[in-house]
Amino acid sequence: MSLSAEPIVSINEVTKDYHLGKVVVPALRGVTLQVHPGEFISIAGPSGSGKTTLLNLIGCVDTATSGVVRVAGKDTKQLSERKLTDLRLHTIGFIFQSFNLVSVLSVFQNVEFPLLLQKKLNASQRRERVMALLEQVGLANHAKHRPNELSGGQRQRVAVARALVTQPQIVLADEPTANLDSVTGQQIIDLMKAMNRERGTTFIFSTHDAKVMTHANAVVRLADGKVLDRVTPAEAGVALAAGGH
Amino acid sequence: MLQILLIAFRNLLAHRRRTLLLGGAIAGVTAVLIVLMSVTNGMKATMLESATTLMSGHVNVGGFYKVTAGQSAPVVTGYPKLIETLKKELPELDYVSQRGRGWAKLISDTSSVHVGISGIDVEGEPGFRKIIQVREGRLDDLNQPGTILIFEEQAKKLEVRVGDTMTISAPTIRGTNNTLDVRVVAIAANVGMMSSWNTFVPSKSLRDLYQLKDDTTGAVYLYLKDMKDIPAVQQRLREKLAEAGYTLMDNDPRAFWMKFEVVNRESWTGQKLDITNWEDEISFVRWVVQALSFLTGFLGFVLLVIIAVGIMNTLWIAIRERTREIGTLRAIGMQRRRVLVMFLTEALMLSLTATLTGAAFASALCLFINAQEVRAPEVVQVMLLTENWFLKVEPGSVTLAVTLITLCAMVVSLIPSFLAARMKPVTAMHHIG
Ligand SMILES: Nc1ncnc2c1ncn2[C@@H]1O[C@H](COP(=O)(O)OP(=O)(O)OP(=O)(O)O)[C@@H](O)[C@H]1O
Ligand SMILES: [Mg+2]
Repeated sequence: MSLSAEPIVSINEVTKDYHLGKVVVPALRGVTLQVHPGEFISIAGPSGSGKTTLLNLIGCVDTATSGVVRVAGKDTKQLSERKLTDLRLHTIGFIFQSFNLVSVLSVFQNVEFPLLLQKKLNASQRRERVMALLEQVGLANHAKHRPNELSGGQRQRVAVARALVTQPQIVLADEPTANLDSVTGQQIIDLMKAMNRERGTTFIFSTHDAKVMTHANAVVRLADGKVLDRVTPAEAGVALAAGGH
Repeated sequence: MLQILLIAFRNLLAHRRRTLLLGGAIAGVTAVLIVLMSVTNGMKATMLESATTLMSGHVNVGGFYKVTAGQSAPVVTGYPKLIETLKKELPELDYVSQRGRGWAKLISDTSSVHVGISGIDVEGEPGFRKIIQVREGRLDDLNQPGTILIFEEQAKKLEVRVGDTMTISAPTIRGTNNTLDVRVVAIAANVGMMSSWNTFVPSKSLRDLYQLKDDTTGAVYLYLKDMKDIPAVQQRLREKLAEAGYTLMDNDPRAFWMKFEVVNRESWTGQKLDITNWEDEISFVRWVVQALSFLTGFLGFVLLVIIAVGIMNTLWIAIRERTREIGTLRAIGMQRRRVLVMFLTEALMLSLTATLTGAAFASALCLFINAQEVRAPEVVQVMLLTENWFLKVEPGSVTLAVTLITLCAMVVSLIPSFLAARMKPVTAMHHIG
């Protein structure tokens, strides 16, 4: 794979502290990481190592305590809330661990929603785009259903479709398969992989699952709020196996 | 954005119970407020109509005639010519009437009372016929000389019935006491507190009593098409009547019977005219109207505060339940302002539907009550100057109530919506609720 020189995500000496009353919980303690366009990167690490925190910082839904987070060439510290929201809308797609669909909207409307916020496409263009994606995730027949009429795997596929519908440069996924059985999880990963191949979309996803990691072209291992190393899936798989999995 | 409307609408549907409860409360408050305003408006309107028809015009041209400096009578001489002048100068005029004014002792076989006596030409006053409800006798008989119309309250006190004769005794302008025998031809339903001090006799009889000429009266009552014109008409009359050669008294916003003392102290003799309005002549009506307005305003305010607290509380809960959703929408790129708009849309949809429903219900209820001719309690009758409730649904009041309550709901929902929109997306998403 050929990587262009400019990283699309560039993180430099980032720390993040949470404050629980008077106790300061350091979630990230100086993370430096570069992700280049078109990469398919897995973030691995034990529970509490800071995976979610890191993804939130990249996704501009949270702010770092110190250090620099650059996304698509922009220093997120310098952006107003308005500009950050625009960045999320146009550049980033989110897949949440717990789906987070709007319960009162249908599958179709949920997927269409970011397009409405973008206001770039007209109704028929939106329809075409959404239906094509639903076809791809195998939910074309469920377009009119409400989220609570779907299984967990189907909901996650809706969430994937919603994240991809704006054709963002970066897609962030926090344990996208954690709530799914292995077959459904595999389908989701295949879908992401296809998107990565066809459009060159950058994917950054966190996972516990060694099998899921094998699809990544690099695994960034976190421990205790720090980057341990950046390895190939094979190496990561060995390491995990050695760790007793 | 249509989707925001859809989300708002579907969220209201999804929480049907809460929506119905809150919407019902808003509708209820709107209805109560509108009924309240209709009661007040109705009371004001009936009071004003009764009082101005029986005791005062909208604008009055009265005055005093003095034979000697110390003796004044509430008399206007040459009134036919005066009325002609007034009609010519006042395009705002609806109709004109004139009344003789007097204060006398009314003596029956068993009792006596001091009352005001108005001289009236009953066939010339259709408005009078509308207000007065004759319980016994005939109003038309009041155009025969030597007759009197009294109210039930007075009839009871004097122990008289239709057909009985009483004597009126009054001091005249020349200082002697004159008497006149009158036959009771009509006993009318009480008209609030006015029924204790008012009686009506034919104009001719009143002139006989006071030995006045045919072209004299007590005051000319002017009824305008629109009461808003009262100050302007008063102002213009002062100028025009002065131009026409009449002598006018200085403006003194009091009832005519309070002015004798002042007038008697002045040294002039002959005729002077006095221009007043209904508020001057029947100030108690004005006080009651003001008290009613204040009461309505106060109750309205209390209702608004109650509903505001209720809406705020319910919205807090609603928004807390949806914090995760807000977080998600913010994370996928919805601007804060949009989130705010989304919740305000929901509040607007709910409150507007509710207020309109409440308004429709209240208006229907008011019309229904009017149609039923419900008798008001006696205490209210005294103020109302009529017997039945009349609820006046004014489009202005309805609009005011709907706008006020909808606005109040919007303002109140602004606060929780704003706080929700301001939350960091990640904080909102991890909210457990
Ligand atoms: N909102 C918060 N307030 C306080 N501490 C937090 C908060 N979120 C995370 N933490 C702490 O920060 C550290 C990193 O948490 P994070 O959620 O990033 O870990 P993770 O790698 O995603 O774990 P998991 O695999 O369990 O999802 C943990 O010690 C956690 O307790
Ligand atoms: Mg996590």
